[in-house]
Amino acid sequence: MLSRALPPLIVAACLLAGWEAYCRLAGVSPLILPAPSAVLRALVLNRAEIAVHAGATLQVAAIGFSASVAVALAVSVALHFLPRAERALMPLFVASQTVPLVALAPLMILWFGFGLLPKVLLVILVTFFPMLLTLLAGYRQTPPALRELLASMGAGRGQVFLRACLPAARPSFLSGLRVSATYAIVATIFAEYAGARRGLGIYILQAKNTFRPDLVLAAVLVSAGLTLALLALIGGLARLTARGPEARHD
Amino acid sequence: MTEAGLDLSGLTIRAGARVLVEDLSMTLPTTGITALIGPSGCGKSTVLRWLAGILPDTLAAEGQARIGGRPLRLPDPAIGFQPQADALFPWLTIAQNAALGLRVAGLSAPAARARVAPLFPAFGLAGTEAMYPAELSGGMRQRAAFLRTMVRDGQFLLLDEPFSALDAVTRLRLQGWLLARLAERPRSVLLVTHDLHEATSLADRILVMAARPGRIRAEIAVPIPPSARSEHSLAPLRETLKTLLLEDPPT
Repeated sequence: MLSRALPPLIVAACLLAGWEAYCRLAGVSPLILPAPSAVLRALVLNRAEIAVHAGATLQVAAIGFSASVAVALAVSVALHFLPRAERALMPLFVASQTVPLVALAPLMILWFGFGLLPKVLLVILVTFFPMLLTLLAGYRQTPPALRELLASMGAGRGQVFLRACLPAARPSFLSGLRVSATYAIVATIFAEYAGARRGLGIYILQAKNTFRPDLVLAAVLVSAGLTLALLALIGGLARLTARGPEARHD
Repeated sequence: MTEAGLDLSGLTIRAGARVLVEDLSMTLPTTGITALIGPSGCGKSTVLRWLAGILPDTLAAEGQARIGGRPLRLPDPAIGFQPQADALFPWLTIAQNAALGLRVAGLSAPAARARVAPLFPAFGLAGTEAMYPAELSGGMRQRAAFLRTMVRDGQFLLLDEPFSALDAVTRLRLQGWLLARLAERPRSVLLVTHDLHEATSLADRILVMAARPGRIRAEIAVPIPPSARSEHSLAPLRETLKTLLLEDPPT
C-alpha cells in the first residue's frame, strides 16, 4: 500500500517545494500566486466556511453520481436487450457529450432554478456516458463459451445476462466508474459556478471576485480531496465485490 | 437403436446459401461412446451445437431429432454439453461452478450445493470446493467441468474436444478417469475429436464425417473391448481411419 502511494507523494512534495521556493525567491505577489504555505494557512483559517461549502458540493455530487450510476445501469441493460434502440440512441448520447458545459450549466439554472435538480442533472449528464459505454463494452466482452454453456443448460436471456454478462462487465464498469467519479466533483463545481447559494463553485467565484487566490486554491485543494475520497470509496467497492483469487490478494 | 436412444435424421445446416451440413443422420444408443471425427471445418462441432441447442442465429437448420421417441428440445434436459474450453466461470468457486446447471434448472443454492458436494471426491476434487478456477491445474479444471456437466444427470453427453487443451499425460489420465466415471454411471457420449488415438481408444464406434457439405461418410464399430485395446491391436483401425480422412479433400 505504502509502496504504491510513495512515488506520487514524492512527486507532489517536489512540486510543492518548487512552487514554495519560486514564490519566496522570486517575490511573486500573493494576489497573483500565493505560496502553498499561504494556501494551507487560508484553508486552516477558513476551514469552517469551506467545510460548509464542501459539504454542499459533496451532497450534490453524491446524489448526482448515485443517480447517474443507477441511470447508466438501467439504460445499459435496456440497450443490451434492445440492440436496435442502442443503434438509434447511441448517436444522441454521443451528441450529448459534445454540448459544452459552459453553455449548458446556465441554461439548466434558467430552466430548473437554483435548487438541487439542475446540478444533479448536470452531474448525471457528465458522468453517465463513460459508465454506459464501459458497461455495454463489458457485456459484449463476455466470453461466448460462458454464454453458450448457460444456453445449453436451458438458461434464458435474462439468466445468461445475470449469470455471465453482468459479472463479466464488472472490471470494465469499475474503470468507467473511476473515470466518472473524477468528473462528478468537477461537474458539480461547474454547476455551482453557474448559480448556487452554497458549494465550492460559488465559493471559488466569490473568492476570485474578492481577489483571494489563496482561498480559490484552498477550495481547489478540497475539491481534489473530495475526488480522491470518491475514488477511494470506489476502490473499497471494488474490493468488496471482488470474486475469484483477486478477492484473496486484496 | 435402443428404445430410449437419440435419433437424428435429415439434419441440414446452412449459412446463407452455403450448405455446411447436409442430410446428416445418426443414432446414439443410451450408453457407450460414439466418436465423431472428420477433417477441420467439416461441421462436427456445428452438429454438436445444434444438438446442444446453441446453434448461432446466423445459421439455419432443418432436421429431426427424437429421444426415446419424443421430439428433442433445443436445449434438452437429457443432454449435457461440454465445450472445448472448460468454460468455468472465473468469479465462481469450483462448488458454485459445479452447481451451475442445477441453479439454472431452478434449484436453490443450498439444494444445488448438497447435490454436488458428495461428488467432489469421486471427481478428484476434494478440498477444491472453495477454490476458484484460476487456482486449479488444467486437468482439475477439466474434471470440474465434467462434474458440472455430469451432475445434471443428462443421459447424453456431448463433448467437444474436451481433452485437446491438456498435456499428453493429463489427457491420458483424464481419458481413463472418464471411462471409470462412465462405468459407474453409464451414459451415451458423443465425442468430437481430431485425435485418432483418442477416438480409437475411447469409443465403441466411430462416425467419420466428410466435408463440404458435412455428412456421415462411414460408421465403424471398434470391435475390441476397452480392456483389450493396445497400440498394436488398434493400429489397423487407425490406418483405416487415416486413409478415409486423407481421401477427403481439405476444406
